Amino acid sequence: MPVRKAARVLGGLMATVAVLGMAASAQAQEKKIKIGVIYDLTGPLAGGGSELQYTGAKIMLDSYAKKEVEGYKVEAVYADAQSKPDVAINEAIRLIEQEKVDMLLGFFSSAQCVPVAARWITTCISSAVLDNKNFKYIFRPQASGDQFGLIAMDFIANNSKEKLGKEPKDLRVAIIHEDGAYGVDVAKGNVAGAKKAGFNVVLKEGYAATAPDLSALVTKLKRAQPDVIFHTGYNPDITLLLRQAREQGLKFAALVGHGAGYGVYEKLKEGLGGDVNHFFNVDPISIWLANQKTMDPKLPPVIKMVGEEFDKAKPGVAIRSAHVGMAASNTYVFLTEVLPRAIKKYGGVDPEALRKAALEVDLPEGGTMLGFGVKFHGDGQMAGQNERSFPVVIQYIDDKSSVVWPKSQAQREAVLPLPAGSTYSNK
Amino acid sequence: MTDIFDIYLLEAMVNGILLGGVLALLALGLNLIFGVIDVTWICYAELVMIGMYGMYYMVQVFGLPYYVAAPFAILLVAGLGALLHLLVIAPLLTAPPINQLLATGGVLFVLQSFATVAFGIDFRNLGIRMPVLKLFEMHLSYSRLLAFAAALIGMLLVYFFMKRTYIGTAIRAISQDRQIMALMGVDTRRIYLITSALGGALAGLAACLLVLQYDIHPFVGLSFGPITFLIVVLGGLGNFVGGFVAAFVFAEIISLGGLFSDLEWGYVLAFAFFIVMMFIRPAGLLARRS
Repeated sequence: MPVRKAARVLGGLMATVAVLGMAASAQAQEKKIKIGVIYDLTGPLAGGGSELQYTGAKIMLDSYAKKEVEGYKVEAVYADAQSKPDVAINEAIRLIEQEKVDMLLGFFSSAQCVPVAARWITTCISSAVLDNKNFKYIFRPQASGDQFGLIAMDFIANNSKEKLGKEPKDLRVAIIHEDGAYGVDVAKGNVAGAKKAGFNVVLKEGYAATAPDLSALVTKLKRAQPDVIFHTGYNPDITLLLRQAREQGLKFAALVGHGAGYGVYEKLKEGLGGDVNHFFNVDPISIWLANQKTMDPKLPPVIKMVGEEFDKAKPGVAIRSAHVGMAASNTYVFLTEVLPRAIKKYGGVDPEALRKAALEVDLPEGGTMLGFGVKFHGDGQMAGQNERSFPVVIQYIDDKSSVVWPKSQAQREAVLPLPAGSTYSNK
Repeated sequence: MTDIFDIYLLEAMVNGILLGGVLALLALGLNLIFGVIDVTWICYAELVMIGMYGMYYMVQVFGLPYYVAAPFAILLVAGLGALLHLLVIAPLLTAPPINQLLATGGVLFVLQSFATVAFGIDFRNLGIRMPVLKLFEMHLSYSRLLAFAAALIGMLLVYFFMKRTYIGTAIRAISQDRQIMALMGVDTRRIYLITSALGGALAGLAACLLVLQYDIHPFVGLSFGPITFLIVVLGGLGNFVGGFVAAFVFAEIISLGGLFSDLEWGYVLAFAFFIVMMFIRPAGLLARRS
């Protein structure tokens, strides 16, 4: 089943992919760049964050629709991957062969990215997308899945003694994840981080995101008695797990989620009510929470524009999801850094020009709306990955989200452990 | 050994029984349609999905109390079941079974797409938090207890309806010989329509109870559709007691398999058990040996 395999990945990764064999000369004559944009607009992943990423990318592309970049028009062609890897592949082929796009941008699910990338193109977030592939025409501006897992562990390790009253070696942690590429990758980062911190991993387990029942997993968690649970999942399985956890009386000191379903606060709140209060989430920082004082001064007005357009598209949303900003920021980096350089310095939008331009991007921290800088690995194990990207840990407190880790981005002290009286509190 | 036989094992077993209740409830209506009158509704879980949306709109949007909304949701899906028969199944009754399968497969995609367009892709939730029953060191979900009770009562009612009423007898007879029943004075069109509405009503009943446990979205049927078909086949087509037992066997394998190994293995074991049983008892768990 698509979702089962789908490790959703959060994040609007963007793939700047130049496709070999395209009619580059014809495109150049028309002086336009045609961008194929693929996200899930239907199926389970759509509501899990993919449609929000689509919205973010579209806001940015629409804002450039009437402008020209170095004499080139920007034209977007959108496709729906339907939350299915096979559809994602077919749509990618269609966009390249029939629509003659110059590049592809998007993909929400690592389960789609991995096979698509293996065929020609790509993008996404799971480390497996890029790891040891040595792709030449694929770039990912945002953090990879294992970085999510690592920073979550780093955060807890730094708070273990002070806030949880336990030495890291005495802290019992559980790592649970949906079993697609995304969940597996984040869990890999969790395991590496737990090893580094010296945590006692009492349970590590994957499950299918479409499983109709997770009560056995909750029972195992109760038996393992973890202090902290690290969870990677989609929205329906997150609410199922936590609903069953409440019904079965599971208690813990803290829960750290990793993007995807945990990044869509409105849905978490709708499904779990006040139980979601004080949960943590690892994601690229929301562009609306990023520290604008240390940011390139031309970016805050763009952030404001994205926010206004998002509010028009989705009125009444209490917390604007980080997914929107991820896709908007990644698209913006391409349109302002890669594309103009490719045209001006390398004479067009052919694959080599885009690749050379992408590899020359050199933005310091604060150079993107997401707070981090951009410098892509040119070759090696993670060729195409932005080496300067990092996610952050946020905490939902009373319908507000605040960055609590790393310290350089933190907006407030983390509330840890769960306050006594909370549904899941083990105090 | 004492590590294995602890309170958590008992909790997993009880949770398996409660999951069995959910699956048995789902299998009930399908058993009537697929098992008894031999009509394939591959879109059965999607009818449940529509019923769940019906509950959501009545409770969350129109503010009806849950127990007032539930009968309307059941009627809604019963109507859909009858409509499905009139528009899709009736013209194909004499066609090869594969045609019904393909046609209702098409309805499956139509319903998913309709729900996507009409209701959007957002996950929705009734927001009802049922209390939790604490028994010794175990915690039991009220929503699952409700589903369990509904499945049990539903199974008994359908069983007696089929065995003790004229229409029930006609439904069973029509599955044996469609042509001869008309010659014996039975209005077969009416019987098919009643059975389809009844199957739809049972799907509606399942929807009313599933909304207490699961998020509602256009693709929620993906989680239940295949497993429901397997249970109906494993129990023996048209055998309500068999379907009931099969649901609990399946659920216990999933629950205990998931407790002793990875959760995924629970499902692998359940499906492997199904395959083995298809060789050993192809007519179903409780089929009489011929």
